[in-house]
Amino acid sequence: MYCIINDGGDTGYCIVEQLLQLNHEVILIDRKDQLPDSLIKMKSNRFSFYSFDFYQTHLIESELKNILLPGKKINGFVYSAGIGGVRPLALTTTTFVSEMMNANLYAFLEFARLLSKKTRFEIGGSIVAISSVSSIKGLKSKIAYSASKAALDAAIRGMAAELAERKIRVNSIRKGWVEADLKHDFIQDNIALSAQDDHARQLLGTIGTADLAKLVCFLLSDESRFISGTNVLLDGAYTIS
Amino acid sequence: MGKFENKYILITGASKGIGFTLAENLDNLGAKLILHASSEDGINKLTESFANKGHLIFKADFSDPLSLEEAWQSQINQDIKLDGFVNCVGIRSRRPLNLLKPAHVMNILHANVASFIEMSRLVCRKNGFNPGLSIITISSIAAHSGGPGVTAYAASKAATEAAVRCMSKELFKKEVRVNSLVCGQVNTEAYSDLMETKASADDVILERQYLGLGSTQNITNILLFLLGKESCFITGSSIPADGGYLS
Repeated sequence: MYCIINDGGDTGYCIVEQLLQLNHEVILIDRKDQLPDSLIKMKSNRFSFYSFDFYQTHLIESELKNILLPGKKINGFVYSAGIGGVRPLALTTTTFVSEMMNANLYAFLEFARLLSKKTRFEIGGSIVAISSVSSIKGLKSKIAYSASKAALDAAIRGMAAELAERKIRVNSIRKGWVEADLKHDFIQDNIALSAQDDHARQLLGTIGTADLAKLVCFLLSDESRFISGTNVLLDGAYTIS
Repeated sequence: MGKFENKYILITGASKGIGFTLAENLDNLGAKLILHASSEDGINKLTESFANKGHLIFKADFSDPLSLEEAWQSQINQDIKLDGFVNCVGIRSRRPLNLLKPAHVMNILHANVASFIEMSRLVCRKNGFNPGLSIITISSIAAHSGGPGVTAYAASKAATEAAVRCMSKELFKKEVRVNSLVCGQVNTEAYSDLMETKASADDVILERQYLGLGSTQNITNILLFLLGKESCFITGSSIPADGGYLS
């Protein structure tokens, strides 16, 4: 059984679909309370859906008690939520930085802290977080976003070292431009504001949402059982160009 | 004439460790300093150590980044134009994941990341600095190499390094350089405190840091280079000062 944490993004939905196709049990926890048509159609009894505003991190502990019944253990979870935003330094206020850290780091760490408990997590399970090439590549006006993704990538390494004794693996995916993200307004702002050429730097073109989901499924599966503490690049050759 | 004669340099976290050694060095080299400490004890130490030197002393709580703007504007003459800013504030944290509650993580990220960004924002305002301003923040090998219990600290240091890469790309047009210095184990008060809390006197990190425990002077030498004109071609980078640890 896998738990997918999502903020209305197509990536999260796509991961759910692929896991269901692989005959896994899936719990989707989404900030948006409406499912897309593709998931409604699937009508699987292996799929359950919960919605609450987990960016309010103090809610996570009590909500999880309702979602995961005692005795139920998960084999892994995926954090594919988070927010973006572009602002020059002069407007990168503490409030803006905190919002970014809250959605991209604090909420993930709180899920990791609560879900990785022995009573909830199977030995040999896997944790995957969606990060970004922004973590290692600087772009102007992405100070807070890059900082939050780099923080996420470093947190992965600390957790992987700690959870290795229970054979739990922790990885992140540094994604480049993904189809699902191009819908968001902030990405469009970003392209207009600072990064006209940036999209073109991704030599293989836009990454399909399903391609990202496949990598997630691989990292969740036993096939990747010796991969831990890494930040896997899925960037369409962005970082080399 | 000292190398930094009449240069205005802000050091945050100046009352201890690397920040204090850097302050002593820059004082000898003729710089005009703005020295920050968070605690009353730190302020007293700076006042005594640098009595009659004409340096400015600035008190602000880095765990509350929202308070920095008011503290900076009310305590420091806003006509001063800075030539350097070295951020030495850093809160250590060692906690297993199951105790890593959001409040603790936020506290570490506020002090180590949000406050650094906020100070950079305040320093980089129009007319607040001279062209050639060099900003350096102290990072850690933890940002690059994971260890049990350092999840929050490592996250905070990796975040500052990522922020540095973005700031450098934005600020180069204003002739501002921004770098981070990735320190290994350095013999500071924070290090002694950390070792006291451990069961064993052995430090496993030093097995991989083959040049041994660093001194605050080792680090200061590199900071002086990064503050000066000699390093004018280096920006946006994370420079290791780690005794070989990451190699």
